[in-house]
Amino acid sequence: MESEKSLEGWTPEPHEGLPLARIVDLAFDYRGNTTVILRDGAKLHGYVSNRDAEAAAPYLEMFDAEGEGPHRLAYGDIRTIHFTGKDTAAGKSYAAWLVRKQTERAAQAADAPPS
Amino acid sequence: MSVPLSQMWTVASYVLRQRLTGRRRYPLVLMLEPLFRCNLACAGCGKIQYPGQILRKNLTVEQCLTAVDECGAPIVSIPGGEPLMYPDIGRLVKELVARKKYVYLCTNAILLKEKLEAGLFTPSKYLSFSIHMDGLREEHDEAVCKDGVYDVAVAGIREALRRGYRVTTNTTLFEGANPERVRLFFDAMMDLGVEGMMVSPGYSYSKAPDQEHFLRKQRAHDLFSRILSSPKRRWRFNQSPLFLQFLMGKRDYECTPWGNPTYNVFGWQRPCYLLQEGYARTFQDLMTGTRWERYGKRSGNDKCRDCMVHCGFEATAVQETFGSWRGFRDTVVSTVTGRA
Repeated sequence: MESEKSLEGWTPEPHEGLPLARIVDLAFDYRGNTTVILRDGAKLHGYVSNRDAEAAAPYLEMFDAEGEGPHRLAYGDIRTIHFTGKDTAAGKSYAAWLVRKQTERAAQAADAPPS
Repeated sequence: MSVPLSQMWTVASYVLRQRLTGRRRYPLVLMLEPLFRCNLACAGCGKIQYPGQILRKNLTVEQCLTAVDECGAPIVSIPGGEPLMYPDIGRLVKELVARKKYVYLCTNAILLKEKLEAGLFTPSKYLSFSIHMDGLREEHDEAVCKDGVYDVAVAGIREALRRGYRVTTNTTLFEGANPERVRLFFDAMMDLGVEGMMVSPGYSYSKAPDQEHFLRKQRAHDLFSRILSSPKRRWRFNQSPLFLQFLMGKRDYECTPWGNPTYNVFGWQRPCYLLQEGYARTFQDLMTGTRWERYGKRSGNDKCRDCMVHCGFEATAVQETFGSWRGFRDTVVSTVTGRA
């Protein structure tokens, strides 16, 4: 089963073992909103929808909190990304639903009158 | 095979045209996702788990039509999200039909009866409602994580058929599917009178939360062999018989990831409908800027290793049918004899 561990609340800073490109990849895979912090201190809150680390000038694209975008940001202008938004995929696994369903069925069977 | 002759002819002539012009990579089906919103919350679906501002976004009809024209595929499949929640779905379908595109509107059918009664659509050979049905009542309601959906979908199918629409079903089979129950399900769909059925194993989206619940290749071959090795004459499939043989392990195909390109609110999805590794702004950029050698079984890409999903392999089967005498002969024989 895929791990249910979420990056929600994670506030990484890039370092030798964790390059910015890796943080961008994780933000791209993250289903919730993030906060992109630029080198000049500006912050952009929204959803990272695209990135291209192999472009001549690597960039990411994001939709802001109002859904406007995509805004394109060069990796070179980004200091880091914080996973500030709710992880909208967390806790919604098929396995969790099956467990809930089985519990419901067991409760219904226990409540049913004997035939 | 239950695909109408006019549709077969359109696809065959399209494929032959591409081959005659020496085009190596070309699309067959455009997967057009005008929105990600849905009125179901199936646990296996990664599409509906975006934050609110993304779920509220819709492509405009003009964006959709530009994508259709850019792509040029003869078939347009409209999944989502739930396309019947798209505010301009009536106008979009009308425009696509006017362009003589064969449209598969992929819906869970919860809103189908309501939209039909509202007069949103007109029956046409170019329009087929492709109803998501993952099995009989118990299996389907479990797959969509909501009780009662099967019965609503059946009512929608009946209403669409009564009004003269083309109706097909699309079924994704997951690990643990019971072959006998699937066969009973096929019987039930034929009893309803649908034109044909589409079936495919599931795939774990890289962002989906339940990867281990999807079929692995060997188990998939075994499952589909048990389901399809003695097909009933009355079963009709709206897909290539060669693809069904591939599912049973009788053919070894390589994926055609550009066969079903996907366009949505983020742009053209790289590389395929299932994997989300980035987005291109134009179809041309998708086709020329994607490192296709990184995908498919031969690439060694782990994400592709066990994939057998129709959006990658049906295109391969169709190209074999219309691209080689042997493929054409095998398709005809299978269609005439009814043997998968």
